[in-house]
Amino acid sequence: MRPEFYKTLLSPFWLILLVLAVVLPPLLPSYYLHIIILTLVYVALASAWNIVGGMAGQISLAHSLFIGVGAMFSTALLLKLGINMWLGLVISAVISGVLGAIIAWIDFRFRLGHLSFVLITLAFAEMGAVVVEGWDFLGGASGLLLPRDTGNFLQFQFGGGIGAFWAMLVLAVAAILINVAILNAPLGYYLRTIRDNENAARAIGVNVLRYKIAAMVISAMLSSVIGTAYVRYLTFADPYLLISPVIVIEIVLFATVGGLGSAFGPALGAILLVPLGEILRGKLGGVLPGLHYFIYGVVVIAVILITPSGLLPLLEKWWARLRGTAPARK
Amino acid sequence: MALLEVDKVTKRFGGLVAVNNVSFSVAAGEILGIIGPNGAGKTTLFSVISGFAPPSDGNVRFDGQDIVGVSPDRLVRRGLIRSFQIVQTFADMTTLDVVTTAALTRRPIREAIDYAAHVMARVGMAGKERLTPATLSLQDKKLLELAKCLATDPRCILLDEVMAGLTMAETEAPMAVVRELNSQGVTIVMVEHVMPVIMRLATRIVVINFGEKIAEATPEDIVKDQRVIDAYFGEHLDA
Repeated sequence: MRPEFYKTLLSPFWLILLVLAVVLPPLLPSYYLHIIILTLVYVALASAWNIVGGMAGQISLAHSLFIGVGAMFSTALLLKLGINMWLGLVISAVISGVLGAIIAWIDFRFRLGHLSFVLITLAFAEMGAVVVEGWDFLGGASGLLLPRDTGNFLQFQFGGGIGAFWAMLVLAVAAILINVAILNAPLGYYLRTIRDNENAARAIGVNVLRYKIAAMVISAMLSSVIGTAYVRYLTFADPYLLISPVIVIEIVLFATVGGLGSAFGPALGAILLVPLGEILRGKLGGVLPGLHYFIYGVVVIAVILITPSGLLPLLEKWWARLRGTAPARK
Repeated sequence: MALLEVDKVTKRFGGLVAVNNVSFSVAAGEILGIIGPNGAGKTTLFSVISGFAPPSDGNVRFDGQDIVGVSPDRLVRRGLIRSFQIVQTFADMTTLDVVTTAALTRRPIREAIDYAAHVMARVGMAGKERLTPATLSLQDKKLLELAKCLATDPRCILLDEVMAGLTMAETEAPMAVVRELNSQGVTIVMVEHVMPVIMRLATRIVVINFGEKIAEATPEDIVKDQRVIDAYFGEHLDA
């Protein structure tokens, strides 16, 4: 691990976050708490996706499959077989990891280009959706309803509201820290060389297959765990929400707007866009149907045009200029 | 003992025979030069040896072991690495990051970062650690290729035209590095168009034309070889 990892770990930022997390939620109306929880879910998901999409540069649309397995399968295991949801979380994560490994292997074996990779992963996502909708065990098209959340931690219950907030905060911070750790470890170097030039990476000793699989498995398992936690918060396992390609498109959007490849970029994208989307919908949704989507779209297009590499690199540049120093290492 | 043995290697692309039944061996500690006109098959030969393109026929042995079918990254870990004639760039990484990745082949990360900086200083790239490869001058890109190879602690380096496009003055730095490396026991096989460079460095020269080996001798003898002169300047036409 590079020393930078421990520097990030000991940053006062985490202390400030902790204080905010303790003080703020009890003061907020439940609507705003919901927005914050939703934001944390997407911070976690965008950060998990970033390991494959940002660092390794592979635009995967298969992540709805991993989120869906984490959500639908763990729910089904509990409802149909009485399996504790903690265990269900682990089983689902392992299945997602295996699926991820298979996708990474297919990509390597058939030397998929960027576009083929996008399409193959989309096909996997669609197949997942079809399986869920057609299989009663997983709830079929009507979904599954979890028992009420009574706050029994041993049953993977967090008591909703503030409890769910803490669960999501832990996951979001964990996802970001996993990003920081990878970027400061050999895996981060390998993934970035693979992203920039796969053949040249092989030529300096990088085992492309091994590290593509590693990235996909870590990302898939993390997404699956987040999926399980998310469905516990929602209580209703809705296949149209949890295993639809729409959720991946949102993740890709947040990560891209925030800044692909960096540890905090995808989180930043989610922190800005999720509340923006929710608040626009809340304030304007009733005024003129579709208006909030329109404004949201304009904001996203503007950000991408102004700073194609994402908001975080732009902020870093401003920060460096403000302090009168040269831009930091990218 | 021969460290690298190329045994009757043939590489066909469809109907085109790029390398035809080429054999030679390289002793440990040697600097072997490979020359030949443009399109003679030199780079293809390197691709075959380094595991990027399997030979259609023939064998390659490194350190006594058959290496046909072994992937390039495994060969790097065994100590055989190639540089690229067309400099490979990385869009979003600093030069230090790229060399560090190469150094990770045999070192833990903190050591790899220090070693990468050391290697860059050694090839004359000190102070350029934070640039991205795409912004480098041609000379520095070539030096970066060399640094990447060095950072993996190779036993044998295949250098593909690291001096091409450089002025004679600019070749001094990479030449000094190659000599120094060789004096430390690293075996070097170099493809080069810049004749003064190869004449001064190589202990032995293999000449390739139209995919076939047409001569093998010391630099002094090779310039007198009529087949080599013909290959480079065309045959005499007796009117």
